[in-house]
Amino acid sequence: MVEIVEEPAGKDKRKIFRVKKEDLIPAMKSFYDQGYDHLSLITGIDRRDKIEVVYHLHSFQKNEYIVVKTETLNDTVPSVTSIWKSADWDEREQYDMLGITFEGHPDLRRILLPEGWSGYPLRKNYDLSKVQFVNMDEDGNDYASFDPGDGW
Amino acid sequence: METTKPVNKYVELNMGPQHPSTHGVLRLKLLLDGETVKRVEPVIGYLHRNAEKICELDYYCDSLLYFDRMDYVNSLSMEAGFLEAAEKLLGIEPPERAKWIRTIMAELSRIASHLVWAGAYGLDLGMLTPFFYVFDLREQLLNIFTEASGSRLLTNYMSIGGVYQDFNDKIIYMIKDFINSFPKKLEEVFNLFVKNDIFISRTKGIGILEKDVAISYGVTGPMLRGSGVDYDVRKAEPYLMYDKVNFDIPVSYAKDCLGRFLVRYEEMRQSVKIVKQAINKIPDGPYFNPKAKKSLMIRLRGEGEAYGRTESSKGEFGVYLVGDGTVKPYRVRVRSPTFKNLSVLRELGKDVMIADLVAISGSIDLVFGEVDR
Amino acid sequence: MNILNRIQGILSPLGHDLSFAGAYLIETLIALIFAVTVVAGMVYFFRKYMARVQNRIGPNRVGKFGVLQVMADGLKLMQKESIFPDGRDDLPYKIAPIIVFLGLILAFIIVPYSNLYWFGSLTVTHSNVGIILIFAILAIMPIGEIFAGISSNNKYAMLGALRAVAKDISFEVPMMLSILAIIMIASVNTSQPLNLQNIVSVQNIPFGILEPIGLFIFFISMIARASYSPFDMGESDSELVTGDTTEYGGLRFGLFYMGLFGTIFLGSMLVSVLYLGGGSGPYESSIGFIWFLIKTIVLVVISLTVWLSMPRVRIDKFVNFGWKILLPLSFINLVITGIIILGGIA
Repeated sequence: MVEIVEEPAGKDKRKIFRVKKEDLIPAMKSFYDQGYDHLSLITGIDRRDKIEVVYHLHSFQKNEYIVVKTETLNDTVPSVTSIWKSADWDEREQYDMLGITFEGHPDLRRILLPEGWSGYPLRKNYDLSKVQFVNMDEDGNDYASFDPGDGW
Repeated sequence: METTKPVNKYVELNMGPQHPSTHGVLRLKLLLDGETVKRVEPVIGYLHRNAEKICELDYYCDSLLYFDRMDYVNSLSMEAGFLEAAEKLLGIEPPERAKWIRTIMAELSRIASHLVWAGAYGLDLGMLTPFFYVFDLREQLLNIFTEASGSRLLTNYMSIGGVYQDFNDKIIYMIKDFINSFPKKLEEVFNLFVKNDIFISRTKGIGILEKDVAISYGVTGPMLRGSGVDYDVRKAEPYLMYDKVNFDIPVSYAKDCLGRFLVRYEEMRQSVKIVKQAINKIPDGPYFNPKAKKSLMIRLRGEGEAYGRTESSKGEFGVYLVGDGTVKPYRVRVRSPTFKNLSVLRELGKDVMIADLVAISGSIDLVFGEVDR
Repeated sequence: MNILNRIQGILSPLGHDLSFAGAYLIETLIALIFAVTVVAGMVYFFRKYMARVQNRIGPNRVGKFGVLQVMADGLKLMQKESIFPDGRDDLPYKIAPIIVFLGLILAFIIVPYSNLYWFGSLTVTHSNVGIILIFAILAIMPIGEIFAGISSNNKYAMLGALRAVAKDISFEVPMMLSILAIIMIASVNTSQPLNLQNIVSVQNIPFGILEPIGLFIFFISMIARASYSPFDMGESDSELVTGDTTEYGGLRFGLFYMGLFGTIFLGSMLVSVLYLGGGSGPYESSIGFIWFLIKTIVLVVISLTVWLSMPRVRIDKFVNFGWKILLPLSFINLVITGIIILGGIA
């Protein structure tokens, strides 16, 4: 049985549900079956000791907006791309920004930053003083390096 | 004797990031079979500034600046979107007059955004002239924004607790003047498009986006309404003063580029309708909540979480704010409508011609400040 | 009496052969100057007209009303560094713009310009097969485009060249068939219907009135030949950057640019010669050239208006249009022409 705990609503008066990481896929499937056919947003929050992943779901029929939360200690969360295709780019973005590995994602690559960027910018321990430079190789693919004179 | 190389049937073409019709810095990796696109993969991130991180490092009131710079042709709607979340989180309610003013400005901004889109779409399809006509129309709007905020594009007009400056008689006169003359001029310009057979043949039946695909990919805004889903945040979850005005949501069941075009056209007319009602309904009173006056603004503390949804000109613009009780937000997350709308291009861009791909990507209404943030 | 004889008369001390050669050279030079002037004027006029259509002012900084803007742009193009793409096919890459421009100039020499006061006939070449010659020269220009597209080592240029070829073969057959109808109808009143002067002189009723279908086909073909909107698939700046000329810059790009505007003017001249009676009009023997220019300029304005108000047609739709609509139409036109001739209307 999937354990879905309802939490007190946030300041925007939206229902918040919390599920365990292991139960995420069955819980999401049950939400999908209840009519939440629109995955609006996936947010990763770096809580320093753990990573919280927040899903904003929306139902066109019921016109309802709910928040589903889960958390992970080892930076991995199961991917929900099999339920909503919309999760594809969102999960790539959260991987890019926070280093959350979505297990089962078909094509988990960085999306906004170039390949080879070191660090995950939205982590609280990201070092902002280190400057990285983006360059383009001859095939038109970007890469990042710490050397300002690199590239062509 | 020379050995013959294996003949590669497909050509890989790198369209962008510098290309006339990618509206900024979109890069499309295409696999071509002659003129037909077999596969398209959008590559984004060339305008990435990580506004979410910058906002985390700034006060709540300063974060607003970076929202202007997201969708830079529709900056007032972006501000309204951020404030929708921020004011919930900070517990500050703007006075009614400010809400009306915001409604008017957000709608005018939507018109400006759709106008730019229509002109750029004409350019995509090879029409030079309408571009200048729509910019001529938009100039009036920019004059209104300048009069209100002192700035043409990145207005920074709204602020936590109200708006920066009250409407004076001149602005109200300018807005009334605009909404009286605009629909007729708009129709003239749009007849250049919709009465042109070549334009119809370039858009009708091109880029069919099925309803279930659109929902699955999280597509919102005119793209979704162009696919036959009657959904608009302004009606579904009214914010500002949208529940006190009377307007309709245009929906097209054609699902193609022409449908999206007509949806946006009708939306502009509906925006005029909203502004027309709102401008007569503005009550007298304060335009600013004294709880958020300038000297106190940077001391505003937010705790908990809030998600604000608004309908920007591109779709559902959401801002998710998490506060930890300090003067700076703990996490800012932006739901960018074009980011989601662009992801569906992989589906739409299969087995179409290059010319159609340009028509389809144009119909998404891409603004890269918002996609890349 | 024509201008050639006058120049030859001035040069007559050189002897018969040399004086004729010199006269032809000078006339060709005049035609070249005329072509370049026309192109420069076209560019200026186009920019001013486009600005007028689009609620703008247009060039107004260089010289009075910006008339020197074209010259400034030309100087800028000349000063620019020539950038050669890596992996190009050197010879075709370099001669492609020259082919386009040369084809244009050659075509300018053959057009019958009619008369102007004491200059007499301004036409450079009085060929008995002028109409064949001019379309043979027009057929050279696409070769330049194809050379440019294929030799640039650029995929956009390649696609642009492929489109240009597909476009060319789909409009040239109907175009030639509509010209055949012209030759048929001209052959009623003249023994040399391939001579452009004769075609002009037999147009008591302009052929455009007798053959509206032919005029339609030929005008569309001339738009496609010059490749501006709605038939600019070869360049199509929003799809293929600038198509076959993507890798060109500086003076070489300038030659292509002049080729574009020159072809618009040339196309208008040909329409006015073949369908609107060229230089014929009142006081033809003294101001025929003026009539000819007026007709051409009206056609140029129509062409530019079409350019500015139309979106681009998709290439496959244009090919369909060419083969499935224009080609049958041109055959129908031939049949109608035959009926006109048999009925003795011409």
